Amino acid sequence: MLQMIVFGIICGLLLGFVLQRGRFCVVGAYRDLILAKDGRMFLATFVVIAIQSIGVYALNDTGIIQFGNDGFPWLGTIVGGFIFGIGMVLAGGCATGTWYRAGEGMIGSWVALFGYMLGAAMTKYGVWKAAGDNLLSYRTSDTYIHETLNVSPWVLVIVVTTLVGLLVIRELRKPKLPIFKMKQKKTGLAHILFEKRWHPFVTALLIGLIAIMAWPLSAMTGRMFGLGITAPSANILTFLITGDNALIDWGTFLVLGIFLGAFIAAKGSGEFRWRLPDMKTLRNNAIGGVIMGFGASVAGGCTIGNGLVNSALFAWQGWIAIVFFLLGTWVATYFTIIRKQKKTAAISKAA
Amino acid sequence: MAKVLETTGMVCPFPLVEAKEAIVDMTKGEELIINFDCTQATESIPRWAAAEGHEITEFEQIDDAKWRIIVKKGN
Repeated sequence: MLQMIVFGIICGLLLGFVLQRGRFCVVGAYRDLILAKDGRMFLATFVVIAIQSIGVYALNDTGIIQFGNDGFPWLGTIVGGFIFGIGMVLAGGCATGTWYRAGEGMIGSWVALFGYMLGAAMTKYGVWKAAGDNLLSYRTSDTYIHETLNVSPWVLVIVVTTLVGLLVIRELRKPKLPIFKMKQKKTGLAHILFEKRWHPFVTALLIGLIAIMAWPLSAMTGRMFGLGITAPSANILTFLITGDNALIDWGTFLVLGIFLGAFIAAKGSGEFRWRLPDMKTLRNNAIGGVIMGFGASVAGGCTIGNGLVNSALFAWQGWIAIVFFLLGTWVATYFTIIRKQKKTAAISKAA
Repeated sequence: MAKVLETTGMVCPFPLVEAKEAIVDMTKGEELIINFDCTQATESIPRWAAAEGHEITEFEQIDDAKWRIIVKKGN
């Protein structure tokens, strides 16, 4: 038990801290592809995938960790991924983003987080379980892309890492924008930890390393998976209601650690404050949270569990989920932001 | 005369979305004062200004999780 608490909290603290300081936001990364026509943060998510894929397949080769093999629930991944994508735009952050923004004092994220826990628990244990199980019953026999292609996973590790590496080099070679910086008030380590702007690729590198470390730390407590947010979130709420200790595992302390780590990072840099959005945003956060919980549960993971971890394993589920997370994000972004922008632009032209 | 855009309480990406909208009708050299409290905008607003060729004349954290940035319209 102590081991579970310590290893989970350590991993979570680091992750929460890095996410907050690095302003790492997956919904932002997906959204900015169409909203700002900027793929830099999206590429950063692939830096996480590439680094992690090297680490986890090396650990797998040594036999320290093993990966599951129960097919690809394609229908659940497609439907759930799309719904999750819509949900995270309304919720104002993906599952992890919601946990870490709650740690920054955003009341809207607390609302979204409660909705997310509820939606996920309803799908795992409650009234939506039948619908979820039905969607999850459509499975292919292959779990992994390299299994279907009949090649070693290392072929994919090398292809993806090379591709991502080339894109990173191309991005770094672009002429630097003269971005205005705030006056530096701290020095040394305090500046680096609590003030400096972190380059997205540095943040991504750190997240990749934490994601690798998560595997053996979690495995030592009997849980054979990497970073995962959805099941622990559902389980916390269910545990609070049922008191069933079996629901508590490494993941529980991981998510609590993310919250605490983000709180420490925000507090240390003067970025913590209770912040209340307007009513309409709160409503969207609540609805978004609940449907994000349903979506993540049937997709078999959120933008972390699927988008960064299953994708690094080259599981079909991870890559197909990313495609449908993107589609859901874009549809929701179109209806909540882009359409309104176009209307305003048309009005100001007419005037 | 500077124009003030109050986005405190708005979550990202709305401070930037509103700023883009507000700057359209302004003339070159005019200043837009943006107050915001969404952490991610500390990254996205300066980046947008640099990419669009607007000048930043001031950028300060005025309180816990509260910032003010002044953008002078470029082209």
